[in-house]
Amino acid sequence: MIRVQGLYKEFADPRAGIFRALDNVSFEVKPGEIYGLLGPNGAGKTTCLRILSTVLRPTRGVAEVDGINVVQDPEGVRGRIGFMSCNTGIYDRMTAREMVEYYGRLYGIPEDKLQRRIDEIFDILQMHEIGDRLGGKMSTGMKQKVSIARTIVHDPPVIIFDEPTSGLDVLVARAVLKAVAALRDQGKCIIFSTHIMREVEKLCDRIAVIHRGKILAEGTLPELADRYQQPDVEELFFDLVQRRDDEVAEEQKNSGAEVLP
Amino acid sequence: MSWKNIKLVFMREVRDQLRDRRTLFMITILPLLLYPMLGLGVVQMMLTFSEQQRIVVILNADDLPESPALLDKNGIHPDWYDNGKRDTSRLRILAERAGGRVPADDGDLLTQAPSIESNSPEYRQHRRGGKTDAELLIAAHHLADQIKSRPAAKDPVVGSSDIATSQAAVDQTETELEDLITERFGESGFQVLVVIPKGYREAMKSVQDQIKARSEGTETGHMQIVSVPPIVIVRNSADDKSNVAFIRIQKAFSNWEDAVRRYSFENASLPIELEHPAQLTYVEVAREEQVAASVWSKMFPALLVIMALTGAFYPAIDLGAGEKERGTMETLLISPARRVELVLGKFLTIMLFSVATAVLNLMSMGLTGQQMASGIGRGVADSVSLEFPGFEPLMWMVILLLPLSALFSSLCLALATFARSTKEGQYYLTPLLMVVMGLTMFCLSPAVEMTPLYSVIPVVNVTLLLKGLLLNAPGSANLVVYAVPVLISSIGYSMLSLWWAIELYNSEDVLFREAEKFDLRLWFRQMLRTKDAVPAFPEAVFCFILILMLQFVAMKYLTTDLNAPDPGSGMMRLIVVQQLAMIACPAVFMGLLLTTSLRATFRLRMPSLTAMAIGVGLAVVAHPLSMELSRFLVEYQVFPELPESARQVMDLMKTGDRPTWLLLLVFAVTPAICEELAFRGFILSGLARGGRLAIAVGISSVMFGIIHMIPQQAFNAALLGLVLGLLAIYSRSLFPAMAFHFCNNALATFYSTEASQFKTDGVFFSRHADGQLGYEAPLLILCGTVGILLIIHMIKVITKEQDLKRRGLIPAYNESTHP
Repeated sequence: MIRVQGLYKEFADPRAGIFRALDNVSFEVKPGEIYGLLGPNGAGKTTCLRILSTVLRPTRGVAEVDGINVVQDPEGVRGRIGFMSCNTGIYDRMTAREMVEYYGRLYGIPEDKLQRRIDEIFDILQMHEIGDRLGGKMSTGMKQKVSIARTIVHDPPVIIFDEPTSGLDVLVARAVLKAVAALRDQGKCIIFSTHIMREVEKLCDRIAVIHRGKILAEGTLPELADRYQQPDVEELFFDLVQRRDDEVAEEQKNSGAEVLP
Repeated sequence: MSWKNIKLVFMREVRDQLRDRRTLFMITILPLLLYPMLGLGVVQMMLTFSEQQRIVVILNADDLPESPALLDKNGIHPDWYDNGKRDTSRLRILAERAGGRVPADDGDLLTQAPSIESNSPEYRQHRRGGKTDAELLIAAHHLADQIKSRPAAKDPVVGSSDIATSQAAVDQTETELEDLITERFGESGFQVLVVIPKGYREAMKSVQDQIKARSEGTETGHMQIVSVPPIVIVRNSADDKSNVAFIRIQKAFSNWEDAVRRYSFENASLPIELEHPAQLTYVEVAREEQVAASVWSKMFPALLVIMALTGAFYPAIDLGAGEKERGTMETLLISPARRVELVLGKFLTIMLFSVATAVLNLMSMGLTGQQMASGIGRGVADSVSLEFPGFEPLMWMVILLLPLSALFSSLCLALATFARSTKEGQYYLTPLLMVVMGLTMFCLSPAVEMTPLYSVIPVVNVTLLLKGLLLNAPGSANLVVYAVPVLISSIGYSMLSLWWAIELYNSEDVLFREAEKFDLRLWFRQMLRTKDAVPAFPEAVFCFILILMLQFVAMKYLTTDLNAPDPGSGMMRLIVVQQLAMIACPAVFMGLLLTTSLRATFRLRMPSLTAMAIGVGLAVVAHPLSMELSRFLVEYQVFPELPESARQVMDLMKTGDRPTWLLLLVFAVTPAICEELAFRGFILSGLARGGRLAIAVGISSVMFGIIHMIPQQAFNAALLGLVLGLLAIYSRSLFPAMAFHFCNNALATFYSTEASQFKTDGVFFSRHADGQLGYEAPLLILCGTVGILLIIHMIKVITKEQDLKRRGLIPAYNESTHP
């Protein structure tokens, strides 16, 4: 469903010249699977997911969603994915229902089907009572529900969650995680990025640890524990990150800081 | 592109804006309430307004003739004022009677003060912080004395051993005295001082008697010359109060003077016609609605422009930068709608609000004006009728509002998208408003009329057309012809800025620009570090702006004295300096600094022989065409004739036996090298970097035109710039373009110097009335055909190459050299 092969993304940076946000990233995600991208802030998770959602273009490499290349047919890709992140806000002067309807129409869903679909989603997410409330008057939890409803209104086969729980309280975060799990059970192909270990342990079928633009390790949790002889995810994560930091420091010493990864 | 999506985005944005109370208030409520309130306020102000009285002191009023009398017991007689009673109340005349001098000693002035006549007795008492009449008189006398003493100080001191020193000393006392007078006048408490000279009445009387005696023939001897001493009026024209009072007093004195003259004639039984040997009578032919139209024709275009701009600006900021700021931009970008659809939906929304704002504002303003004119303010506005313009001009306003709104909407949307935050967006309003206001103000000048050139300049075209149509003057119906170029060019500009907005939506740096601290040093280092083989787009634009700025700055220094012994050669030297220093140098310097390959940037590749031949051939066939086109455009007044100074310079350079090699060096070799290095070298390479060759050639030729300043030269240069750009891209070398440029300029030089001796045959060549060589239709058709064939050939080769590049069969030569 999702195939990422040798992906590079570079930004111009005033200090370092070129900042390499993604460095040869490759992975695949299959339907019915939650793939966790685990990494500290600034690791490149958001850049990678934004490339998959076509709002950024890769410098090099291939990214495909459902067999469609993100560079060649961005509109086609956008029609097949649902994308939700802490950056995808909702409009203040639109009600929950209008917001979901608006995106549903942009996805080209026929009107009667759209209304049925919205009712169905509002049932599942229990958000009928906020249907007529303006975005500006909603609590963070309500907004998050609207965002989820917007993400899945067109029933996309691929759903991308970029730190969907950041800034949420425990109850709302739990509800979001439940919703994600339910989507997996419907057979969706899901990428889930986070820096919280607990969420990975609870939710993800396979994970990739990403730091400074590079994937450091990939596999199911038991596989990783086995490979690195470290049963605790948190310890495993810190080990990998530390090792990568040391490597970079070494590289810089040798090369005179030509390109900062 | 799906209209369904555009409509969806449009409907959402409109609903969103309408739900925003601030927008709604700004666009509908404010104009509906603001103008009636303002109108009411103005009426109120006018009712309560009364101009403050200004004080005028007339010294020695006793010496004025009794008939005609300037003064009555209340001051200047109302007959002498232009505005009769109204002016009487605006000036307070303090006339000193009974000739006595007020002693300088302030101590007992009240006992010795002369009698004073004043038109407002209540002012005799102390006003708030004011002075008594007696104090005013004392000040007036001091001032009069000082003024009298002034000319005396000007005489050089006789018998001084050192004339220079004494002169300096005199000058100094003089300045001091003048400073003192100014200061005293300021402190005096009155605004105008009139000093009637001693013996004025007698002198006047004796002159009148003499005239009478002569006309009656009772006196035949030589006329005794009696000098009538001048009446001195003191004012300070730098002070508004003094000036206002002075203007009224001056009028009164002038009217009174006429009466004195008339009296003298009557007294001497001379015909009264002597006073006005030429009677002037004025006939007004403008009908009332035309007068009204002229008021509207000045107000409406300016208001329309400002309202359309502000009406577009605020929604645009909200739809562009606001969307980024509120974090809904990314949500929108991941929807399957194409960027074009998003931009068009937003653009239409902004345009709707721009049009609505303009229409509502004008309607409210027009109705308020009409209400005021017909009702309360009748007294104020009886000289100008504010009748609303008729249906036809109103219809034109709506039609012309659309392209204007479209232009502003697309421009504002692009700026708002570029801005990181709404705050940054607001910053762009001021410069935009300044430029637009400047253009509008230019159009409001009565001397500026619609010309073919103005009809394609943004904002100016719409404003001028509207002005002409509203003015409803005879012949304004012909203006309708201009509606076509005005509409087409306006739509063109709107499309360009829309294209810019779409480009911005496609550019990830703009959409995900973080508000970071700007560090000039870091930014500069970054620019130097990320050098490429060829310059970047903004660097090319900057190079052009730099060249333009240099030209502007140097304009003052680049003029030769036309009266110098040999202005022609001075001018020629300046041309070479200007070409080298202001065109070639910036480009070469930027190339050295900002690119890694001078060869790629300046296209320093060996061209094929074919390319060189095409360059020379095109120049040869382009010459007759461009000459006849220029002549045609001037003849049909599309462009003004060359300014006198430019023609003089050209004539100067033609005259004088200059060797041909010098002329060619100055007018052909230097421009061919310098301008090509800059425009087809640095600038075109930078512009073409994105791979959009057509746009790059277009922009570079417009730039090339702009630096030629004089409109007809600019137009010609822009056309040739297209060919030059094509040549450079086709041959991937600068040399064919240089060859073209050289040949073109060399032919033009020969045309102006040698061609008048050329033999004409009447078929291909003829002679124009002014003696210049003319090219006839057969030759022009031949040249046109050859030129078009060559151009088509080049375009074919370029498109083929582009196609191969796109399919990856040959490497794109201007690829970045990033690791």
